Amino acid sequence: MSDMSWKDLRDLDCARVRSLGESWKSYVPDMIEQTERLRNDVIGGHLSVEHFESDTATQVREHIDLSTGRFEDDLSDYADIRVATTLLEAADALEAEQRELEEVVGLIEAHDFVIEGDRHRYDVNFSGALHQAIWTTDPPEWLCHRIGIEKPQGLDVADRLRALGNGIDLAWEASCVAREYQDWLRAVMSRAHDADDDAAAALAAMRESPPELPPQLGATYDDLIDDYRTALSEAVAAEMEAIANGGSDMSPEQVNQWWESLTDAEREALIAEHPGWVGPTDGIPVDARDTANRAVLDTRIESLDDRIAAIESQMAQMEAYGSGDGAYGGKSHAELQAELIRLQEDRELLGDLSDQVTDGNGNPAVYGGTGQSYYLLGFDTEGEGRAVVSIGNPDTAANVNAYVPGTGAKLDDVDGGLMTRAETMAYDAYRKAPDPGQETATVLWIGYDAPDNAMPFRDGAGLDVEAMDARYAEDAAEDLSSFTQGLRATSERDAAELTLTGHSYGTTVIGIAAATDGVDADNLILVASPGTGVATADALGVGAENVWATTNSQDVIQYTTVHGTDPASESFGANVFESESVGRNPISNHSVYWDDSNKDAGRNTMALIVTGQRG
Amino acid sequence: MNDRGPRARPSSRLSASLVAVTAMFAATSCAAIGEAMDSPPESQYTQAEAYAPLEAAVADMVEVLPDFPGFERRLWRELACSHNGVDDPEYTNVELVYEFSVEDSATELVRERYVDALREHWTSLGYEITQDQRQELASGRVDRDLSADREDGVHLWYSAWGLVAVTVQSGCVPVSDHSDIEYIPPTGGIEPGGEGDLVGDYFPDGIPTDQAAAVDPFAATRAASGPVPFESPDSYEGQI
Repeated sequence: MSDMSWKDLRDLDCARVRSLGESWKSYVPDMIEQTERLRNDVIGGHLSVEHFESDTATQVREHIDLSTGRFEDDLSDYADIRVATTLLEAADALEAEQRELEEVVGLIEAHDFVIEGDRHRYDVNFSGALHQAIWTTDPPEWLCHRIGIEKPQGLDVADRLRALGNGIDLAWEASCVAREYQDWLRAVMSRAHDADDDAAAALAAMRESPPELPPQLGATYDDLIDDYRTALSEAVAAEMEAIANGGSDMSPEQVNQWWESLTDAEREALIAEHPGWVGPTDGIPVDARDTANRAVLDTRIESLDDRIAAIESQMAQMEAYGSGDGAYGGKSHAELQAELIRLQEDRELLGDLSDQVTDGNGNPAVYGGTGQSYYLLGFDTEGEGRAVVSIGNPDTAANVNAYVPGTGAKLDDVDGGLMTRAETMAYDAYRKAPDPGQETATVLWIGYDAPDNAMPFRDGAGLDVEAMDARYAEDAAEDLSSFTQGLRATSERDAAELTLTGHSYGTTVIGIAAATDGVDADNLILVASPGTGVATADALGVGAENVWATTNSQDVIQYTTVHGTDPASESFGANVFESESVGRNPISNHSVYWDDSNKDAGRNTMALIVTGQRG
Repeated sequence: MNDRGPRARPSSRLSASLVAVTAMFAATSCAAIGEAMDSPPESQYTQAEAYAPLEAAVADMVEVLPDFPGFERRLWRELACSHNGVDDPEYTNVELVYEFSVEDSATELVRERYVDALREHWTSLGYEITQDQRQELASGRVDRDLSADREDGVHLWYSAWGLVAVTVQSGCVPVSDHSDIEYIPPTGGIEPGGEGDLVGDYFPDGIPTDQAAAVDPFAATRAASGPVPFESPDSYEGQI
C-alpha cells in the first residue's frame, strides 16, 4: 500500500516520470526498425531462398523469424505496455492529483487550518492561531462573513462581546469548512495512493513471467518447435486468463494495448475459446466483448435448459415410481424441486436478457427510437444478478452516457423500467445532438450489487435499511472506475464526451468511486442523490464545474441525505438544474425524472450535458 | 483569495437521523399505497383505438405546413403510465413520432416557419397551447418547442431540436393486446413498410402493407376542431 504523504505528492517531479515513460515509448519503434531489418535484409535478402535453398536454410530463416517475433512481443509487452504506459499513466494521474492538492492545501493554509494525522486518513484541524483568534474575539473576516456578522474593529468592547457571544457559531462554522477541505484532501490522497499502488503492482508483476525463446537449432529442433508454437498460443491464453481474473495488474489502457498487439487469429481464438474471459474485461473493444458475452449467454441458456430437462425427467421418474429419493445427485424430490425453481428463475432472467439484446432472427436487437444496436458488455446471475448493456457502440460514439441506477437495481430490470430510462436518455440525446446524426451511446450499468431496499423492514434483530449503508457503493467503486477507464481506452475517438449519470443510490456509487478510485469522466450528473460520500463537488476529481445535480421539490430524498452533503444544496458547489415534480407524493416524486413530465426541464438539461452542450 | 474558498453554510451534518428517516419512509409509503388504490382516469380510447386518431392528427398538421418536404421516419412508441410512482401495466401512453431528415431539420422553413404555422393552426382550432418556448444553446442553435392539448386528451408537440419532429401522444389509455392493433399507413411521404416506417415491432409477421394500400386509412377520421373531441367510431373493423 502506498505510503506517499501529501508533501511527497506536492514535491513529486511528475515531469521526470513522464519523461522516463516517453523514453521507453520511443525506444520501442527504434528497436522495431532493427527487427524489420532482420526480416527484410537478412531473411528476405542475404539469406533468401534465391541465395540459399536447403532444409537447413529454411530452418535458419524460420528460427530468425521466430526469435525476431519473440523480441517484438517482449518489446510490446514489457517496454511499451507495461513500463512505458505504466509510467505515463502514473504521471498523468499523479499530476492531476498534484494540481488538486496544490489548490486544497492553498485553501487550508489560507484559512489557518493545519494538516495532521495519518497519511492514509489526514485530518484538517484548526491551527493554534485560528483557535486563539476565535476565542479571543478576533475571528478572521472570512469566518465572520460566513455566519453573517461584522468583524470586530479595533478595541470596541461591544463588538468584542458580540464576537464572544458568537464563539460557538464561529467555531462550528470553521469546523464545517475544515471538514470540507478534509474530505477533499482525503479524496485527492486516496486517488493518488491508488495510482501509486497500480503503478507499483504493474511494474512488480513484470518479473513474474520471463519469456520463453525458440528452441536452439540442432538435431532436436523439429521435435521442439511444435511445442514452442503451442506454448506461444498458451501464453496468450494464460495472459488473458490472468487479466480476466485480476492477476495481471494491467490497467484497462494496458489491456487495450495488449489486445491490439495480438494478431487477428489470436483475438478470434480467444473470443471463440475463452469468451468468459473476454466478455467482462474492461479495455477490450466493445465489439469483441459483445460477441463473447452473447456466446456465453447462449451457452448458459443451453446449459440451464439441459439441467432443467434432466431434473424434470428425474422428478417425473421419481413420481412415477413413488419414490422420494433419486439418483440425480443423490438429492431428494424436495431438493430437486428447490433446485429446479432456482434454475428456472435463472433461465427466465437470462432469457429476458437475451430477448432484450437479440431480435427474432438471432441478430443484435435494435432500439427503434434511435436505430442503434444493443451491446452486451457483461452479465452475471450471481446474487441478484448484474448486467451492463449499451444502446449504441461506446467505442465509435461521439458521446457516452453511463447510467448507474440505485436501490433495487438487478439483472431482472434489464428489460424493464431501468432500460426504459436508458432508452429515454438515448432518444433525448439523439434528438438534441449538436449535429444531427452525432451518436451518443447510452449504457445501463448494473455492474454492482445494489441495496435491496430503502424502506425499513425487520430482519431478525431489527431495522435494516440497506440504502443507508455505503458498503454497496464502496464495493462498486473499483469496478465503476475500471469501467470508465475501459471506455476511454477502447474509444476510437480521442475526445469522446463521457458522462456518468446516477440516480438515487447510484449517485452514491458514482461519488464514492470518483472520490476514492477516481473515474475517467467529463461530467457527473447526480439525480435525486442521498449524498456522494463527500462534502463538496471539488472532492470528486472531475472539477466542480463538471458536476451537475438535480432533485425535484417534492422528492423525499432531500430529507434523507445520509451519505454526505446534499449535492443539490448550494454548499456542495455543483451546478444545480431544475426537474419537475408531479403531484405531491414524496415517494413517487423520487422516480419521475425520466417521465414525460420532466422532458422540458431535467431531461432537456441532461441531454445537453451528455451531448457536450453545457458547461 | 481563491474563488473556491468557503461557500455558504454547509450542511455536512447528517440531514436526518435513522429514526427520522425510517419514520418518514414508513409514513410516506403508507400514503403511497393508499393513493395507489385510486382508480385510473377515464380515457376515450383503448390503445388499439388510439392509433387512428393520432395518425389523423399528424395528417392534419401536414395539411397546413407549406412546401412540406416530407418526413423521413415514423415511430410508434409506448410510454409508461405511472400512478403514484408505480407503473400501471394496465395502461400505456401511445406515442407517435414523425421525424424530418437531418437536412430538412436544418432549414429555416422547418425550424421556424412551421412553428408559426402550427401555432396559428392549433389556436384557430381552439386547442390549448401548453408550451411555446425557444432555447438558445451554447452552439448558437435555437431549439423550439410548441405543444398543445386537445380536449380528447391527445397531446401535440412540435420540437425543433437537432432533429425536428412531430410527436403525438394519446395520454394514458387501457393497454390492448398487440394482435388487436391494426396497421395504419404513415402520412407525410413515408413509404408504408419502407425503411422509415419503424413500426415493425407491432407486426412481427411483417407490416401488412397490402392491406394498407387498399384502404384509405383516414376515410373515417377527421381532425378535431375546437372544443369538439375526436369522435371515434364504435369499431374500426373493415375501415383500416
